Amino acid sequence: MRREAVTYTAKQVAELGRDNIPSELLSGQGLVYSSPATLAYNSPGAEGFGVKRAGLSVPESVMLIVSPGCCGRNTSIVSSMPQYEDRFFYLLMDETDLVTGRHLTKIPDAVSEVVSFLEGQGKAPRVVMICITCVDALLGTDMERVCNACEAKIADTGIRVRPCYMYALTREGRRPPMVHVRQTLYSLLAPMEKDPRSVNLIGNFAPMAEGELQRYLLEAGVKNIRQISTCGTYDEFLKMSSANFNIVTNPEARASADDMSRELGIPYIELTRVYGIRKVALQYQALAQAAGITIDLADDKQEAEQAVFDLREKYPDLTFNIGECINADPFELALSLLRYGFKVDEIYATLAPEKFRYVAKIAELSPDTKIYCNMEPTMLYYDVSSSRAHISLGKDAAYYCPDIPNVAWNEDVQPFGFQGIKELMARIDRALGEVTA
Amino acid sequence: MRGLRKVLTPFAPDQSGAVSVLYNLGGLIVIIDAGGCTGNVCGFDEPRWHGARAAVFSAGLRDMDAILGRDTLLVSKIASAAERIDARFVALVGTPVPATIATDYKALKRMLEKKVNLPILTLPTDGMKLYDSGESVAYKELFETFAGDDVRASEGEELILGATPLTYGDSYTDVTLEDIESIRGRRLVAASSSGIEAARLTGKDYEIRSSLAEALLAKEKIEGKVLVCHDEVFGKTLRDGGCDCDIATFFTLHDEIRQEGDIKITEEDEFTSLALSGRYDVIIADNCLQKLAKGYEGRWIDAPFFALSGRM
Repeated sequence: MRREAVTYTAKQVAELGRDNIPSELLSGQGLVYSSPATLAYNSPGAEGFGVKRAGLSVPESVMLIVSPGCCGRNTSIVSSMPQYEDRFFYLLMDETDLVTGRHLTKIPDAVSEVVSFLEGQGKAPRVVMICITCVDALLGTDMERVCNACEAKIADTGIRVRPCYMYALTREGRRPPMVHVRQTLYSLLAPMEKDPRSVNLIGNFAPMAEGELQRYLLEAGVKNIRQISTCGTYDEFLKMSSANFNIVTNPEARASADDMSRELGIPYIELTRVYGIRKVALQYQALAQAAGITIDLADDKQEAEQAVFDLREKYPDLTFNIGECINADPFELALSLLRYGFKVDEIYATLAPEKFRYVAKIAELSPDTKIYCNMEPTMLYYDVSSSRAHISLGKDAAYYCPDIPNVAWNEDVQPFGFQGIKELMARIDRALGEVTA
Repeated sequence: MRGLRKVLTPFAPDQSGAVSVLYNLGGLIVIIDAGGCTGNVCGFDEPRWHGARAAVFSAGLRDMDAILGRDTLLVSKIASAAERIDARFVALVGTPVPATIATDYKALKRMLEKKVNLPILTLPTDGMKLYDSGESVAYKELFETFAGDDVRASEGEELILGATPLTYGDSYTDVTLEDIESIRGRRLVAASSSGIEAARLTGKDYEIRSSLAEALLAKEKIEGKVLVCHDEVFGKTLRDGGCDCDIATFFTLHDEIRQEGDIKITEEDEFTSLALSGRYDVIIADNCLQKLAKGYEGRWIDAPFFALSGRM
């Protein structure tokens, strides 16, 4: 029997409606195929910022991973990066620990030994993150209490000890791991006198690419724009408490922003990364209104429009395949590209119901755009030969489309706003140019 | 402190070993996890994943699936995939999650057998043991399911057991289902610790030999007293080739290999003590262990060991 990957066109999905999205396109409905996207998504230490790297975003922090050996195995990929040298430690659980929970009583001694080890190397940490995994999720471990015991054990050092929950089991819950880890990081902040000229960008673990947002803030009189990733020291990180307001650039930081609003009195405004020029402009106008500042975005908007125009003039029939290992919402990106006059042949992404609105609009512009789900087992049989795309976007899309140019667009440094659109158009142009050269 | 790692990252776990044996056999492999374990296996411990697609799936468990023990849902997911994927068997590979909730593998197997017309293999690995243990579990399950009784060709073709990428890197040797079916008629070579376990299961005589160690002997002139920290078969082959060595291994050390001076080690400090004991002119081990031997002044010969360092 001929086997093939399950796919639906945008038109089919739109006609079925938001409440009847095919199960093959949704998460949690079947076995999960080991595609690059699901591995990156499922394996927090492997790529990008999962719980392990995210937990170490706080300067001068180290992490003790308390888990079965398998959970820490792929951390060696991260550990080999210079900035993570001597920052990961492991307390390996065995089967007796699992049955008796005795590993919990060992954690304070382990933390003490790690701190002594680092002090001996002149690298005393300011924070120790305790990372626990699915096992402790099921055991119902009270890690806050364990962390308190750890702090008591090393009270003379003043080192903070906080929990990180790498609970893959709770990924689709109300507080998934990547939401929780952000709350953990910012929970280290204590109330501080406000500086009306300080703003935080929260949401990402790597810096936002230099672009118009920072310029708009500086032109409005802001002196300090802090991101966790640009704080060189723990003391600098603590100054994030002094911010006049937070700009949230990733919805997974919304809970942290709520916490900071409640605990530290820092209000926030949310800006979403989108690739539609009109939507970017609307967001900046909303920011200006909320923050009481003036933003002149005409030049930046025009430059982004010009970048799109130039690419379309050069490649009028340009057709894309789009994956989800990318610094974008793949459905929003597809819709934006269609609105610019390009074509989108295939999208490889899990379709959450809240993304249906994009698919409905994609269906109006490009009803035959095919949607595949990276998690679907039949992706084992995906065959790119029928695709008409000239280029793929997203690291995972390169896996499915090995013979056409690819722009991975998944670097740690985060693109944003008009600058992100301009840079993406330039990278696409470059990738296509390398092929023709 | 026992179990505390300050320098090394954890070694390849049993579930990676189990998948390593099964990987190219044409089965539908289901890792019973929430996703992270599958990510570790395919994204790190299984170099073959980067070369070709394989039917390795995560069960995609969520908290309530585990808490409520929704085996029926799991069976339904597997049956649905088995209808749409060409496979010669279904293998269920355990992780810490089923270990914590005490999953009944026999019951799962019976339930699946009613829904799926394929042999069902269950491998109760738990992520807390090491890869050689998982490889042994996989061989045992394969033999019990597929090994035939034909012993006519007892002097037949050589069959290498235990040469997975986790021990052999890119010099691995795959075993096929046809090999397993004819195993009682084959001339067996145990190429690693799990190979010894596998060969023992057949009740046949077997040779113990590591081609990796043979290659090293051919390449390097090794003189003086040697500490070799690798798989036990690697160490034995060096010894058989004339190397005056003690074997230290983080993995299984069988009595049939162990000699005076050999040791099974578990902790980082144990290796440090051995390396700095002053007894060894040469250490043969993966370079990742050098961090534990600061101050060692003898000769170090790198012997990459994927299960330790993830290095080919």
